[in-house]
Amino acid sequence: MFAAKRLGKELLKMKEHLPPGIAIVKSENLEEWHMDLQVLDDNPLYQNETYRLKFTFSSKYPIEPPEVQFIESPTTPTSPRPIPIHPHIYSNGIICLDLLSSAGWSPVQTVESVCVSIQSMLTANTRDERPPGDSDFVSYNRRRPRDINFFYDDDNV
Amino acid sequence: MDPPSDHEVVDLRSLDYVSRYDDHLMCPICHCPFIRPIRLQCDHVFCQKCLNTAITSFAGLRDDFTCPSCRTPTKGVYLNVPRLLINMCDDIRVKCPFAAEGCEEVMPRGHVQSHIDKYCSYQLVDCPNDQCGKKTRKMDLHPEKCMHALHPCQHCGEDIMQKDYEEHVQESCPRLETTCPDCQTTVLQTEFQEHVEVCPEMNHPCAASRFGCPVKVTRAELAAHEQECPLVMMGPYLDAQNSRLGSLEATVRHLQQRNEIYEDGLSNIRSTLFESSRGVPERNPNSPQDSLNQDRLPGAPEQPANDQWIDLPNVYTTNANTYLLSLHESLREEVGQLSHAITDLDARASMAIMNECLRIKEDMAHTNAAVSSIRMQVQWLMNPRLHQAQRMAGARNNNNNGNGNANDGDDTATAGPSNAAGPSPGLLRPRRLSDGGREGTKL
Repeated sequence: MFAAKRLGKELLKMKEHLPPGIAIVKSENLEEWHMDLQVLDDNPLYQNETYRLKFTFSSKYPIEPPEVQFIESPTTPTSPRPIPIHPHIYSNGIICLDLLSSAGWSPVQTVESVCVSIQSMLTANTRDERPPGDSDFVSYNRRRPRDINFFYDDDNV
Repeated sequence: MDPPSDHEVVDLRSLDYVSRYDDHLMCPICHCPFIRPIRLQCDHVFCQKCLNTAITSFAGLRDDFTCPSCRTPTKGVYLNVPRLLINMCDDIRVKCPFAAEGCEEVMPRGHVQSHIDKYCSYQLVDCPNDQCGKKTRKMDLHPEKCMHALHPCQHCGEDIMQKDYEEHVQESCPRLETTCPDCQTTVLQTEFQEHVEVCPEMNHPCAASRFGCPVKVTRAELAAHEQECPLVMMGPYLDAQNSRLGSLEATVRHLQQRNEIYEDGLSNIRSTLFESSRGVPERNPNSPQDSLNQDRLPGAPEQPANDQWIDLPNVYTTNANTYLLSLHESLREEVGQLSHAITDLDARASMAIMNECLRIKEDMAHTNAAVSSIRMQVQWLMNPRLHQAQRMAGARNNNNNGNGNANDGDDTATAGPSNAAGPSPGLLRPRRLSDGGREGTKL
């Protein structure tokens, strides 16, 4: 009830105004939203690409953080949605970002603020690489993002 | 943290907010206008309940709860917010929480609780029957009776709740009967529409009503009437006539359009002919007629061609007239414009002349004044000399000695602009005059 009310209000506000480069793709139910994200400056790593973020909300949102990850969908050739290359984004779309963890999350965050944070995380990146141990992580990980214990050791990007 | 309350407290977060509220009045956690707000040391404000929820869920993770907005440690200090903020939040207008039950009240949020407690008749309250777990609207509440007890409908036998019983019996019971206003038979309300279609007593208009038959009789008599109604007999014939008229009208309209097109074409041809005939009359005056004769259809009789020829000069003169008239009109317009311009110039010239005259008059006044002042001065200068001449003449006449002559010579030397000169009383008069002359110059 609480989560639904809060998400309803956020959606209303976002339908009025969204920051540039961010668009709502799917928000019919109040459990899973899809957002499209573009990096607007001329960072050559992300130019002319659109990425899709999946938000999964628990009933305790916004007290608990939403689950946020990149998804590769739809895979049509006309509008591809790849996983952006970034030293903190695994190739399966899982994002290692402290503000998405229970410890770093704050209930004042919104879907919009999370999108802006991820957008700026991509903008600031200059390294064309995946996190260390990406292939191992991707092949062995069966856990949900929220259950993974990340170490937030890299403050550079 | 909530104070103990003896009545149910409305959940202000689930209300429908009617008026738009400022984002600054919104709790960043629940995005509602602040409900019982609390301020932290860092001056960030949250609803008490939101903050509590956040604290309890964060308790397991961290020792010291930090502000959700800026992550400053709270150190367990919770402050009051200004009364102003609470009043502003309580002033935001909301719908009654029982809007779904039919209450249309819109009120400031601060009044919701009292509205529900005292005034709202749509409020859902517990059924007085302890066995019944349902809720009922306050307005439907019977002091002792459970409105949810099921009663079988006396018509259809269906079990209906007490609160819906009246509505069911009056409107929605499938066994409800109604009387046909025409045949007086009773039919089920649900089947009334079908009955209207077949009711034998209902008055139906004659099949030829559109041709003017005024008869309106019951279905049974209608068949007999239609057997002998002359209009019904003529019906097919009238229909055929109608359709023929329709098609004829369509043809006429079509022909009219074609005719218009032909007329347009004809007038175009005429005008081109006149232009060419105006261009060549000296060289070959017969050419218009020739070309006309050539254009004429071979089957056409002589008469129309003659008509056309007779028309030619008429149209030509009309054309020339119109041309001359238009020329005249444009000339008249030009003349009008010119006269306007002339009037304008005249006004401007007279204005300029007047200005110049004024200036000249002023100058002349100045010059006059200067001249008169000069005249005065000259007079004043001349006066002593005249006096002297007179006195010298008098002295010579009286045989005065050389002393008197010397004194008079001094007088002459010092007389003039210096006021100190001239001890003789005879000199005072002209000096006053000269003063008067100076005053005149000033004026």
